[in-house]
Amino acid sequence: MSLDNILNHWSDYRKGSEEGGHHDYEHRWAMAINLDLCIGCNACSTACYAENNLAVVGKEKFEKGQAMHWMRIERYWDQQELEHPEQGASFLPMMCQQCGAATCEPVCPVAATYHTPDGLNAQVYNRCIGSRYCSNNCPFRVRYFNFYSYYESSWPEPMEQQLNPDISVRDKGVMEKCTFCVQRIRTVKDKAFMEDRPVQDGEVVPACAQACPTSAIVFGDTMDEGSVVSKLWKKHQVERGVYQKTKLAKKDADLRGYRIFEELNVDPSVMYLERVREDI
Amino acid sequence: MSGKMNRRSFLKVMGWSGAGVALTGCDMPTTVTLEEGKEDVVSYLMPEEYVIPGVGVWYASTCTQCAAGCGIHGRVREGRVLKLEGNPDAAMNNGKLCMMGQAGVQGHYNPDRINTPMMRTGGSLTPISWDKALGVLEEKLGTVNGDRFAWFTGTISGHQSVLLTNHLDAMGSTNHYAHEVVNNAVSRAVNQDMLGEANPRLRLDKAKMIVSFGADFMGASQSPVQYAGQYAKFRTNKERGLLIQIESKMSLTGGSADLWLAIKPGTEAVLALGMANLLLNKIKISDAGIPADVRTLINTYDVTKVARVTGVAGDRIQRVTQLLSERAPSLVLAGAGVEGQAQGYATTAAIMMLNHILGNVGKTIESAGDFPFPQLMAKQGGTADLVAFAKAAKAKKLDAVIFHGSNPVYSAPKSLGLTEAMANIGFKVAISQFPDETTMAADLVLPVDSYLEDWGTQVPADQAEANAIHVQQPLMEKLNAETKGLGDILLTLLKQRKKDDYGQFEDYYAYLRNAFSAMPTSVKNDAKSNDEFWNTALQTGVIKVDAGTKTLQSTVVSFAAPVEDDNAGLTLLPSPRLGLFDGRHANLPWLQEAPDQISKVVWDSWVEMHPDTAAKMGIGNLDLVEVSSAQGSVKLRVVLLKGMHADAVAIPLGQGHEAYGRYAKGLGVNPLQILDATTDGKTGELAMYSTRVTVKRVGPADSLSIVRMGTGAGDSQVGRKLVVTVPVEQVRRTEGT
Repeated sequence: MSLDNILNHWSDYRKGSEEGGHHDYEHRWAMAINLDLCIGCNACSTACYAENNLAVVGKEKFEKGQAMHWMRIERYWDQQELEHPEQGASFLPMMCQQCGAATCEPVCPVAATYHTPDGLNAQVYNRCIGSRYCSNNCPFRVRYFNFYSYYESSWPEPMEQQLNPDISVRDKGVMEKCTFCVQRIRTVKDKAFMEDRPVQDGEVVPACAQACPTSAIVFGDTMDEGSVVSKLWKKHQVERGVYQKTKLAKKDADLRGYRIFEELNVDPSVMYLERVREDI
Repeated sequence: MSGKMNRRSFLKVMGWSGAGVALTGCDMPTTVTLEEGKEDVVSYLMPEEYVIPGVGVWYASTCTQCAAGCGIHGRVREGRVLKLEGNPDAAMNNGKLCMMGQAGVQGHYNPDRINTPMMRTGGSLTPISWDKALGVLEEKLGTVNGDRFAWFTGTISGHQSVLLTNHLDAMGSTNHYAHEVVNNAVSRAVNQDMLGEANPRLRLDKAKMIVSFGADFMGASQSPVQYAGQYAKFRTNKERGLLIQIESKMSLTGGSADLWLAIKPGTEAVLALGMANLLLNKIKISDAGIPADVRTLINTYDVTKVARVTGVAGDRIQRVTQLLSERAPSLVLAGAGVEGQAQGYATTAAIMMLNHILGNVGKTIESAGDFPFPQLMAKQGGTADLVAFAKAAKAKKLDAVIFHGSNPVYSAPKSLGLTEAMANIGFKVAISQFPDETTMAADLVLPVDSYLEDWGTQVPADQAEANAIHVQQPLMEKLNAETKGLGDILLTLLKQRKKDDYGQFEDYYAYLRNAFSAMPTSVKNDAKSNDEFWNTALQTGVIKVDAGTKTLQSTVVSFAAPVEDDNAGLTLLPSPRLGLFDGRHANLPWLQEAPDQISKVVWDSWVEMHPDTAAKMGIGNLDLVEVSSAQGSVKLRVVLLKGMHADAVAIPLGQGHEAYGRYAKGLGVNPLQILDATTDGKTGELAMYSTRVTVKRVGPADSLSIVRMGTGAGDSQVGRKLVVTVPVEQVRRTEGT
């Protein structure tokens, strides 16, 4: 990003994402998570540990909020006034929402977190100086900081042989977070490039979506109009760059799709489908 | 093929004896290549065609993290297995895998694996060579009386089970104890009596409504991934399925219920009888097939009485029963908390009777057919065998026992006296991967391969619609040259007894190759040669087997009337969770660090209580308490949880290990230790959910001593739009039914 480039395209750069944004995207990876199918079983979370070389920090560091669970299942109790939670628990798989207008990006003093042409909030580990501004600025609390070097404690021999060689093991002083399994995206894109064809829908499956026993997580490219995830976003009238629920005014105001903290105008790439309960 | 065996004994050796077996020619494999699994180290200077440095290759195998037996794919790169996924060719898990399956690699690469045979000399286990270990084994087992020899395992199936049974035969013994803490043994007994099949096929996906009496089918069940997959279909059917969960402690499955009802522990039979009463006398469904004594019993349970005994509101009982009669087909399930009562059989039978009344048999409960190879079928464990084993050991009826795949010293309640009785067994052999409690009590320890290094076949007990044998193949070379496969150890044991029959097989791999070649043509499909069949089986990991179609009978057996218990004490629920399960996964750090799904605690034990119960005793959240039964007590922290009946306290299973490596040892408490040794009279299964306890506060809250994944603000969403819940009517309107 040279200065010339910035000056020549200044008006483009000033566009917010409600005007289409200022990026020339190749893909816009996105998710649709059906909360009515999420049973809170932790399969996605454990799959993420296995795929992404996440450190196990142990009880004491977990207590200090230093756990590295990129994909975590939050569990809420609604109906707190009742004697028993009669509609069960509310489970929420929470990971980096890969925001289109991410609040973590502009605050990084060294541009270690930046927006890729795939629409991902990438984290450049080698550039990160550990200021933790990004984490401080994330409304979803999905950025995880390496307060320690976990190599010795988390992967005692021969545990290190399980480490995924496609991605690095992060060291002390570095911020990390969900990447939408960028290594899997990379592999598929390279393969498609070598075969001189576009990436097919369903070719990229992140570890969480692959493991999910109820197939609650759907992953894909919203720029590919034929993709399952595009169709789901469209069906539920969730649109990029459209903040608040403009669909509230429409006839199908009650469709289940929503993005968390939509009102913050961060343009998350994860659409959730509301949990359904039948009143007995 | 050796001429020493006749056809019949050949089939028995190979595990194919049974109905409708036709033999094809049995050609022995002559050459063994790397692709076929012989473990040669090949330099990358001469890589095999399919090995590209830097590119992962996926191999099919079978998960053994629990007894379900899901198909898996393992990603292998540069000779190391890195990541496990579900095998899409395996119909039961359909490409999906649970957290326990995901963590399988941590058992394989575990730093605390046993890497050498050990023998007890002068009180402690000391390393010896395999030659010496096998010598000792041959000598000791050669002199033991058959009646006084036993195998003690978990659920075991496939060719390993065939060899084990054949070894017992060779020893002249019939003592095979199969033990699983998480089991459905009582349901199997009830199903056998009422439906004519122990493991009928449950079709949650076909049900319009499920009423589950504590059946945690998506959590610690017999096949969690399979049933979670069915649940997804149940929920996304054109008419969204309705799940009602009735239990004393909210399970993972209960967390997803449309209506979760707390029931006084031990009164489920009363509720089932009350619902039957409404169905027969108020809604006027036919009582055909119900024995007269049961019919009379049902009549005595009117709603008022049932509501008083169970603590479930009368209008709720009526509404749920009404819905059951309207939404056919439905499915009524009984879970571990019901089976594990002092009247487990009767309670389970009362619940299963509702399926008969509602006409669900044949609709949402189907026959699994006749699996054509009974020798390969799973020998499913239960706790009756643990009780019987403890009794035999106490009575000094056993001289030599081989343990594999089960940890009875950890999981037997103290009241069974097993730990002391182990001393009565002169020669204890543990075929084990880890230094668990049972292994540490053994006289001879044989280090076994991990399931990612070993050959085998698994036959899931809860089969999907397409019946299958799942194939297990090594995904990489052994991490340690000193471990041996279970099949190889079994074969060695058999060679020591029956050289004539088994001497021809160099190793378990050769045995399996032979067994596959001897497989009846009916399962070989269109394979042109035995090699092709073998290769296809390894590639897909699944051998489809036609079990035919059968119709289930639908009968009701007579069962004992519920015993009314006016004791107002607290009942202890030692509840298994998807994760640490029965304690076997306590040495996997990913699972220790994965927050409990309901309480969100990590790396610890805790006791769950309803806030009202705790308040009455002056106990606050995270206080230190002592939970005492007649058998002993444990000290741990309280986690207040509204998903509890006021008369129940729950302690999760899995922690409290005195051995089992760096991750498990010394963490938390083991609630199994303080259980009464009460058993269900009909099945002999341990009544794990019937122990009465008292709780006493012994220390103040201390936020540092128990760690939970915090969601803040008392776990409330405090008005934030995080998880939004909408009524089903709205979805019907907008998305169509």
